[in-house]
Amino acid sequence: MLSTIRSQGALHWLGRQLFNRDDPGAFFDPLLAVLNPMWVRGFVPARLLDVIDETADTRTFRLRPSARWQGFRAGQHVNVIVDVDGVRQHRTFTISSAPSQWRTDGTLTLTVKRHPGGHVTHWMHDHLRPGTILGISQAFGEFDLPPSGQPKPLLYIMGGSGVTPALSHLVSLAERDYRAPVTLLYYVRTQADVIGAETLYALAARWPALSLHVFATEEQGEAALLNEQHLDAVPGFAARDAYLCGPPGLMDRANALLARYGVQEEQIRCTFFSAPTAVAADTPLGGAVTFARSDIHVDSDGDAPLLEIAEAAELNPAYGCRMGICHQCSCRKTEGTVVNRLTGKASGPGEETIQLCISVPQGPVTVDL
Amino acid sequence: MTTQLTQSQLDDLARDLDAIRDEVRADLGERDARYIRRIIRLHRTLEIGGRVLMPFGFIPPVFVAGVASLGVAKIIENMEIGHNVMHGQYDWMNDPSLHSQTYEWDTVCTGDSWRQTHNYEHHTYTNVIGKDRDYGYAVLRLSDDEKWKPWHLLQFINYLMLTVFFQWGVGLHELESERIRRREIKLSDKKAFLRDFFRKGGRQAFKDYVFFPALTFPVFPIVLAGNVCANLVRNLWSSTVIFCGHFTEDAETFSEASIENESRGQWYLRQLTGSSNFTGGKWVHILSGHLSHQIEHHVFPDIPAHRYREIAPRVEAVCRKYGLKYNTGSFGKQYWTVLKRIAHYSLPDRVRVKLEAQAV
Ligand code: FES
Repeated sequence: MLSTIRSQGALHWLGRQLFNRDDPGAFFDPLLAVLNPMWVRGFVPARLLDVIDETADTRTFRLRPSARWQGFRAGQHVNVIVDVDGVRQHRTFTISSAPSQWRTDGTLTLTVKRHPGGHVTHWMHDHLRPGTILGISQAFGEFDLPPSGQPKPLLYIMGGSGVTPALSHLVSLAERDYRAPVTLLYYVRTQADVIGAETLYALAARWPALSLHVFATEEQGEAALLNEQHLDAVPGFAARDAYLCGPPGLMDRANALLARYGVQEEQIRCTFFSAPTAVAADTPLGGAVTFARSDIHVDSDGDAPLLEIAEAAELNPAYGCRMGICHQCSCRKTEGTVVNRLTGKASGPGEETIQLCISVPQGPVTVDL
Repeated sequence: MTTQLTQSQLDDLARDLDAIRDEVRADLGERDARYIRRIIRLHRTLEIGGRVLMPFGFIPPVFVAGVASLGVAKIIENMEIGHNVMHGQYDWMNDPSLHSQTYEWDTVCTGDSWRQTHNYEHHTYTNVIGKDRDYGYAVLRLSDDEKWKPWHLLQFINYLMLTVFFQWGVGLHELESERIRRREIKLSDKKAFLRDFFRKGGRQAFKDYVFFPALTFPVFPIVLAGNVCANLVRNLWSSTVIFCGHFTEDAETFSEASIENESRGQWYLRQLTGSSNFTGGKWVHILSGHLSHQIEHHVFPDIPAHRYREIAPRVEAVCRKYGLKYNTGSFGKQYWTVLKRIAHYSLPDRVRVKLEAQAV
């Protein structure tokens, strides 16, 4: 997925013969990474230009990716690839800058909040310094701006670090000189937690179509949680296209309210990425298992390992020893926590390789099978 | 000849070894990643160096340097990178190019075939006669569990052939030609395997014997000869290392019946007593992919191999605690016992026993 080597016919075929791999370009990466990390082929390298403090726990990283990066649309995300303590980690972040910035100076920004208990975001805050090279994927995601043409009134409901796609959107809309009214309801804990404050207030000052409302839930109490009054204050909101992004609580509330007011589902777009969270240590073994590729969902209980659960669901994953030696059964777990039967240790919550024959689900687990 | 331990001793043994494994696992990180990346860089450098030097091989010392560079590159790739990566030693790094199930190495045997015959069959059924087909590679008789036949007299020739053409032998291992000969299976059962074998074997031959020679056309005989030599160097070295790991004098063998309902402790015991180490300097260890620590490797096949050297004293101490032989010795000494073993078992049992009695 991350390999950017496209098959270029004969040359690619030859590369496969010579280097025994499907991404022959990456064969030289270990050397290139030392000579000039911006030449690496296995992922798109990006140089970190500067780090800007947004709030006490949020920083914006400005990156310049290599020429192989293909650009993005406002509202899209990238996977960031970093090696933390020898382990390659992938995390998804929404691009907080506008595509116009990338077109003019070749840079983009990612705004990253320290996620409580989030190993990788903490590491990024603590270790990434200007000049560092990290990897990114091509951009993806469908949280798109309305098509140009007849401008429609828009409503953004955003919470916390979920505001990042709106930053990209709003800057782009202002550049288009978007005429229809645009309202942003932005929910934060305190005024000091407003991300992209400079951009937002500057936009509100010079772009008459935008009305900006910041609600500080910790400072203003109950009344600052999304409610009917907030929506009622937005003229003609039921006819607007709505964009939602924020923590699950806010998203649920917003969806329920909008539905109650008869806003159609087609009018609503949601997006949110949060770092996966670990299950509590005392979570009992077993849980709902999703075999993503075959689209099978089953429940498991007790200490049945995933290999047996998969076989009971009539899947035929590869296996050998069934005792954790041979790794024939290794496959990708995309979400959830598993406990290793041999060591009794729980895995991390994110995407990683596990051995099916000795991995017991602890809570819901998704496996790429 | 099997070492006996009581069930509770076996449980203690498993606990002691598990403790070592858990401690290393918990400590894996930056240092191990840096190590394997450095080895990979070394491999790439040597491979490029070898390919570049080879066309200038009409100057004899350059020829030697080219062969050495490419041969060592292949050795490092097969032993310290390929073999170990495919064991899942670096799966925790989450790097797609170091993933056990997708890695493809620079030798005739396909990664998939190796994962089946080696990672699973050999490592699960280590030295179980009839189940571990690595035991003598189905062409050598190395214990009296197998009945002597007259053609065994010539098994030294088999051994020489096997070691010279080792990559092809390993590549064809999954064919189970001995079972085809015995008509237990049909050649047509192996169609899928043969297709992959020819694809991979063809790819390897194309690269070393067609593409690079053709690329350097005027000097192609030199490049061809150099590549043949580099492959030979790798074949000889890797087969020798592997033979020293399991076929030394005292390495034990086991019967199928003895491993029924085997406990983890018994499995550990079998790994400890069925393998043998050899000593040497840092580079001997690296070039053997740390299979010089075959014992540690068999007990912990998926721990990054460069750690074996560090935990060896602790594994040896565990062996001492349970009165188990920790089979080790210099490379020369271990290899000598392998040759002796091949020679001994080529003889009819009566002759062999008499000879052994005289030697004592
Ligand atoms: S089947 Fe061998 S490790 Fe899982």
